[in-house]
Amino acid sequence: MTLGLIILVFCLLMLLGVPLFVVISGLALSLLYLNQIDSSAVIIEMYRMATTPILVAIPLFTFAGYLLSESGAPRRLVRLSHALLGWLPGGVSMIALLTCAIFTALTGATGLTIIAMGGILLPAMTKVKYPESFSLGLLTTSGTLGLLFPPSLPLIIYAIVAKVRIDHLFVAGILPGILLIALLAPYCFYRAIKAEVPRSRFSIPEVAGAVKDCMWELPLPFVVLGGIYGGYFVVSDAAAITAIYVLLVEVLIYRDIRWGELPGIMKKSMVLVGTILIILGAALGLTNYLIDEEIPMKILDLIRAHIASPFLFLIVLNLFLLAVGCIMGMFPALTVVIPLITPIAQAYGIHPLHLGIIFLTNLEIGASIPPLGINLFISSIRFEKPVLSLYIASLPFIIILLVGLAIITYVPWLSLALVNTP
Amino acid sequence: MMDRWERIDEIVGRLEQILLGILLGTMILVAVIQIALRNVLSTGLAWGDQLVRNLVLWTGFIGAAVATREGKHISIDVVSRWISPKRKIGIEIITNGFSLLICALLTFAALKFVNNEIQMKSILFLGVPSWASEIILPVTLGVMTFRFCLRFLKSILMTRHQETGR
Repeated sequence: MTLGLIILVFCLLMLLGVPLFVVISGLALSLLYLNQIDSSAVIIEMYRMATTPILVAIPLFTFAGYLLSESGAPRRLVRLSHALLGWLPGGVSMIALLTCAIFTALTGATGLTIIAMGGILLPAMTKVKYPESFSLGLLTTSGTLGLLFPPSLPLIIYAIVAKVRIDHLFVAGILPGILLIALLAPYCFYRAIKAEVPRSRFSIPEVAGAVKDCMWELPLPFVVLGGIYGGYFVVSDAAAITAIYVLLVEVLIYRDIRWGELPGIMKKSMVLVGTILIILGAALGLTNYLIDEEIPMKILDLIRAHIASPFLFLIVLNLFLLAVGCIMGMFPALTVVIPLITPIAQAYGIHPLHLGIIFLTNLEIGASIPPLGINLFISSIRFEKPVLSLYIASLPFIIILLVGLAIITYVPWLSLALVNTP
Repeated sequence: MMDRWERIDEIVGRLEQILLGILLGTMILVAVIQIALRNVLSTGLAWGDQLVRNLVLWTGFIGAAVATREGKHISIDVVSRWISPKRKIGIEIITNGFSLLICALLTFAALKFVNNEIQMKSILFLGVPSWASEIILPVTLGVMTFRFCLRFLKSILMTRHQETGR
């Protein structure tokens, strides 16, 4: 009874805008108090979480991502893909899809993509006469499109919280990620042909020029992924190498970023890391308590009474996760919901890696779903458009992505084919 | 009166930015040196990995303290988008007051945690006691408490202004 009341009050406070780490740790503190456990248990969990070895990857990748977004890398990436794909019908929109996906994977899916790439891509698309609503919808929903590709931050966080191997999860996301892009591509072609978008000519000198322009950034994905899967280094090593490499390239070789700008960029990226870390720590304290109390098992019994088949369970799970992704946003959903869902999904026979990909695809789409998807608001600010017009603009893309979600959910092979596990 | 507190907040903020730069720089450097030593000379600094992990703890929590100053903590902001500025201040008093209370409790819990660790006399590396790193938890949580307190007082002052302004 008291417990129900406490949870209700905390939910209300959360909707009023109390920072999530305060809500979560407050809830943890009151549960500990009710059970007469010392409050320092919350802090012990925070400390334990913050010094987890793999966590080192988060500040390093985030810093590298912020450096890239503040440098000329977005412009160079667009130039290269334009040189390679501009001659295709719908070429420019394909460029937008691909560059957004790559950029989100590198910067960690935090809305940076819409801010950094949107300013280059929206004028590029409207200049060649793509309808504005189509362009806005594309850029809004593409803001999280790279989330399934390594080394995106949500993949790392999922692996930490759900205790699956990061290198396996990285591989698991590749086919589903390609599927989502492959589903969006025909729609882009169709709209481009209908709008009679002019194509540019394929020119070898331009390709050569564009490659030369970003020759220092091109090796990065190969170094990171090749290093991890070649067995040369672990994920946190890859993060350190990425950070130092991007730092040297952008500051010393391209000189896009001046030394004086570095402290500001460091601060900005560490603020993001701090907000995620403190929620992670607080959530760990709370969920450990919930697991000790066997709350997931109680939920499972409740669900089992109504849902017998894994098929139906997956539908309910998807609807729930879409709502969570839309309302709570990516990082809180990752930290709080995963530990509760994982044992339940396992009881229905869903592979942990497959569950992770379902989870992240849902969050990716949920971030663009009206009324509260975060991408809609970031786009609204970035492009100075009313949120309502973005609701309409992103609708066709959301429908296509939902089809992709259904395929990913019911074809586990997509997530598991590339992973070498028994 | 508020001015003086805000100036202190600003000085702390500048200190935090400097610290973040130094800590992150060291983190990258030590991590890279470790990789180089491991792959080229197949050795490593025995304390290197521990140091990097504790640097993550420090940068993370200092980052969280800065986020409190800049109002950048992740929150679900459903209500305030659709409500009048006057009511908004009322909500801010509630949210900041509650955050202040919880952060104060967390600071207290962190102090107890560090106190326990001092008595345990555990060593991190190179003779550095564990509490020397863990002390950052009560410090940053204390700074967050202070900042929520500032915000709380400011929102209360705002309602006063509104009343006298009318």
